Parts: sequence; C-alpha cells; structure tokens
Amino acid sequence: MRGASSIAMLFLDLTIQGLVQGAIYALIALGLTLVYGLLRILHVVHAALFTMGGYAGVVVTNATGSLALALVVAMAVVGATGVGIYRFAYKPLLDKPPLVALMASIGLFIVAEEAFRLIFGAYGLSFTDPPLQTHVEILPGIFLSHARIAVVGLAVVIIGLLAWLSASTRTGISWRATVSDPPVAASFGVDVEKVRYLNFFIGSALAAVAGTMVALLNNLVEPTMGAVPAYKALAIIVLGGLGSARGALAASLALGVIESFGTIYLGDVLDRDAIAFAFLILVLMLRPQGLLARG
Amino acid sequence: MTSSLKRFTLAVALAIASAFPALAGSIKVGFNAPLTGFAAADGNSALIGAQLAVEQVNAAGGVNGEMLELLVYDDQASPKESAPLAVKMITQDEVAAGISGSYSGSTRAAATIFQENATPYISAYAVHPDITRAGDYVFRTSFMGEVQGRAGAKLIGGLMNLKRVVVITLNNDFGKSLAAGFKETAGEFGIEIASEYTYSIKDREFGPIVSKVKADAPDALYASGYFFTAGPLVRQLRAAGVAVPVIGQEGYDSQKFIEIAGPHAEGVIITTSLDRDSSEAITRDFIEGFEDKAGYPTDMVAASAHTAVLVMAEALRKAGAGDKAALRDAIASSSVDSSTGHISFNALGEVRKDVQVQIVKDGAWRHYAVISDPELLAPPEK
Repeated sequence: MRGASSIAMLFLDLTIQGLVQGAIYALIALGLTLVYGLLRILHVVHAALFTMGGYAGVVVTNATGSLALALVVAMAVVGATGVGIYRFAYKPLLDKPPLVALMASIGLFIVAEEAFRLIFGAYGLSFTDPPLQTHVEILPGIFLSHARIAVVGLAVVIIGLLAWLSASTRTGISWRATVSDPPVAASFGVDVEKVRYLNFFIGSALAAVAGTMVALLNNLVEPTMGAVPAYKALAIIVLGGLGSARGALAASLALGVIESFGTIYLGDVLDRDAIAFAFLILVLMLRPQGLLARG
Repeated sequence: MTSSLKRFTLAVALAIASAFPALAGSIKVGFNAPLTGFAAADGNSALIGAQLAVEQVNAAGGVNGEMLELLVYDDQASPKESAPLAVKMITQDEVAAGISGSYSGSTRAAATIFQENATPYISAYAVHPDITRAGDYVFRTSFMGEVQGRAGAKLIGGLMNLKRVVVITLNNDFGKSLAAGFKETAGEFGIEIASEYTYSIKDREFGPIVSKVKADAPDALYASGYFFTAGPLVRQLRAAGVAVPVIGQEGYDSQKFIEIAGPHAEGVIITTSLDRDSSEAITRDFIEGFEDKAGYPTDMVAASAHTAVLVMAEALRKAGAGDKAALRDAIASSSVDSSTGHISFNALGEVRKDVQVQIVKDGAWRHYAVISDPELLAPPEK
C-alpha cells in the first residue's frame, strides 16, 4: 500500500469523496442562489428545508419501506413548504429593505430547528433498515457505497434536467430571464410571480433531495443538521457569484474536493468549515465577482 | 437573536417553575443540563438519570427524613447561560449544592461561581481538567479525558495487543484530552501512532478521513467522539471496507450509537463508566429503572448524573444541608457505591474508580473487560 501508485489511489479516492460532498452542496446551494437571484434575499431558512427533507425521507422510508416514494414525498412536502415560506414570510416583506426578510429568515430557521426537536425528539432519527448500504469496488481498493453512488447519480440527473429545462423550455427561459433581470423579464410579459413560486418549489425540492441523501450517508437526521449548510451554502453562493446557478455548481464541487484534501492535509490547522471560508477569502481576493460570474 | 429567543423561552420556563414553591422540609439541589439546543439529547438523558436517583433516595426515606428536591435549569451547554443560572441557583433559589449534567464549557463557567460562593458542586460527566481546578468545592464523578485516554492505550496495546494505531480526534475539550492521555501512555504499551486526524463536532461526513485510514492500514483505530459523530463514522468506515477494530470512549455510550451504525456497530469497543452486565444490585436497579422511566436503554450520561446525585445524597446524610463547608468535607471523604461503581475522590476532587470496557454484541452494549489499575488511572492531584 506504499509508493506512488498508492498515493495516486488515495488522491483519486479523496477526489471522489470530495465530489460526493460537492454534489450535496450543489443540491443545497442551487435553491439558495436562485432565491438570491430572484429576490435579493439571503434565504437562511433554506437550510431548515434541507433538514425537513432529511426527516421526511427517513419517516416515509421507515413507514413504507420505499426510498423512492420517500424522495418524492420529501420533494413535494418540502417544495410546498418553500412556496409557503415565500408566500407568507417573504412576499409581505418585499417592499422592505432586504435585511428585514433576512431577519425573518433567520427567525424561521431557529423556530424550525426547535420544532424539529420538539416533534421528532432531540436524539434525531435513523432508518430502521437503511437502504443502499451495500458497497461496490469501483476501482481496485476504492469502495463506494450505493448510497454515495446514488447521491452523485441523483444530483447529475436532477441538475442536468434543470439545465435542460431552463435552456430549452419556455418556462425555463422565462425563469432564467427573471433571475437575471426581473424588471426586464416582467416588461416582456413574464409572469414574475409564477416564476417565484416555481423557483421556491424547485429550489426547496432540491434541498429535500440533499437532506434525504445526507440521511442515507450518515443514517442520522438531527434537528441541527441544517446549521452547517446554513452558513456554508451562503459561502458557496458568494463563491459562485451571487445568483449564478452555474457558479454555485462549480463552487460546490470545488469546495467539496478542497475540503476533502484539506481535512487530511490541513486538518491540524484548520477544521473543515474553516477551510471553506479560507477558500472563500482567497477567491474573493482574486476574483471579487465570484468564480464564474462575469466581472 | 438566537440567545434572546432562547432567553425568552427560558424566562417562560422559569416563571412556570417558580410558580410551584419548594416543598416544605425539602433539601434543594440545583441541576443544570442542556435541555434545549444541540446537546439536548444528552441533557435530557442526564436529567432522567438524576431524577431517578432522587426518586430512589426519597423512596428510601429521603435524606435524614427530609425529601431531596431537584431544581432543574436549562443551560443549553453554553457558558453564557450556565454562569447566570449558577448565580440564580445559589443566591435566589438557595440550593444546598449543585450538580452539573452538562458539557465542559458550561460546567467550567458554573464551577467558578459555585467556588466563589463556597457552595459544593459535582460535575457528572464533563471532562475538562480545569473544572475541578476551580477550587475545593468542586468535584467530578466521571473520568477526566486524560485518565480515560490512558485506559484506552492499555486496552488497545495491552489487552488487545494491537500496536499500529490511527487516532481520530474530535476537536473539542473532550476529544483533545482523550487524545492527550492516549498519546502520553501509548509508548508504554508498545503502540505506534501511524497518524492522527481531527474533525469538528459538526462533522457527520468522514469520507476523506476514511479514505486516508484505508491507505494507512492500521491495526486499530482510536476514535474519540459522541454517538452522533461516532455512529456515522463507524458506518462510513465499514461501508468503505475498513474492518479493523474501532475503540471509542464513553461518548459512544448510548443505544443511539448502535441504532445509527446498525450492524456495523458490532464489535466496537469503548471505555466507559457503566457496566451493562454488572451483577451489583444498585447498578441493575439503575439500568432497569432508567429504561422504565425513559422508555429507552440507559446511557453513560444518565448513569453519571445518577451517580452524582447518589454521592451528593450520601454527603447530605452525613453533613446535613445547613453547613456548606461540612457538606464539602463530606463529599471529599465520600466512599459510596453507585451505579458506576465505588466512588471516592482525590485531593483535587477527581474521582477514583475502575474503567469499564464494553463491546457491542447483538445490538447491545455488553461487558468486555474492567481496567482497575489505580496507578494508570490516577487522576492529577492538582
């Protein structure tokens, strides 16, 4: 297990682990960056929707034995909750300074964490019979559990589908137009309000997928599992250039891989969350507009 | 914002609590634990353990005829909360003594205040060395991290005879003091530390560490953590094909660890303070009483809080509740049988007791070994 080839294998393994984590970040950050693009609101409570997705995934899987059904239910319930948050929390505050909506968002996030604790208990929930726990040897010495493969596969399929939707359908094009310039889109006859509802539904459903996937990897959902994504996803969307979906995607994957290597080679100096912010500072010094956004 | 909301909740809780005046002729003991926030699971278990001890003491006639009464305070495992709560316990609620069912940060802050007010305080399971250094009114009924780390080294290098070890350390007081004790004694037992990794208490995703451990190919892993980090860690290690023994500590000691890690938990070995297979009546009563009361199997924090209350009750029996200096002396000279074994204290107020080694077998914690080596397990005297 020594020598150049084993180092190469380790680096490959670390890269794969980073991409798995990056796929999860991407599912969370996409919804967040889209909300920012549309409304200029930092949607902190998005992280609670991620947690809710985890709970929905575990509860439905435990009740029915079907992970696929659990994913669908999680996406629907969390998507609808996201729409509800827009309708009842943000919409009445849209004419106020963005800080007001941010405060509302933080408040909702705290309420949600404690609500999860009251409803589901402080210990968190686990799958009674966790699905996709078998593993395969994808390369000699590199094992990936089916859960990890599912995380990456689902992320690729869902994000690919969204990319296709937004590039090739009328709804998608009006969505993109609204995200990049709401007043101009409205003047072209786009129903901005409809786009906002759609946006919250899709963004929240993506977070629900991420929540269920994290539950699968750790076999644990906890009331506070949104705490780290709540601020790390903000770092990711800043990295990607606020409001840029493509940037958020690139930033998510880059951060996943950097954290993966950082955990091993910088772990004594910086913990994983600090690595994210060190990377953020570095990128902002070199490219203040974000990784992919135009300057 | 977070803290103001929490303070409001707390205010409501305290208003409700204070609406019920203390029972006449009772001895009040303060109990701070994290009942909300990230550590709420441990806080609530500790509380149930403490309440069970109070019920048992009172059912057996109380303390010299007076009933023991537990006043409960939610410190959210935060020093910001525990310090003012300690002041309230002592000055307003006039407790005879206090017990911490909380983590190190909050317990340290409260311990300083108990010492300043010359009121006895027992830390049930917080591990930071500075807690008892607050002064002669502060005691600890659980192992210091260093002591348990030394027991871990003896377990791996001595009892299990495994020599090449990777250390995975939780980056907080608990993890760091365990790692310090482990590394300090590793050499004595012929252990070579292949590498060491640290992680934060918020991490649940250990993919990179698992990959590196695989490349390190050790004989065993010494991994500090709590059930909510260790459960995912063990699961991910096994899912990636790492089959070597995993040795943990009391932070794993909960049924929830086994639930999270599932079949992968089998064979995991920990150092802790509770022997599930003990034949001692006091331990059996605790284990069964806890499961009846809580509805789930017991854990380390519950056993530790239970122990702390029994030690306090015994000292109150000897010294009464009126004289705090006498009560302190009574605790200091304790020689009490408890749910976690025989308890006595050294000059610093640190506990002297055996380390229990437990293993997961058929989905439950079972007896594996006992480490009773007074020299190895001697806590610092100052």
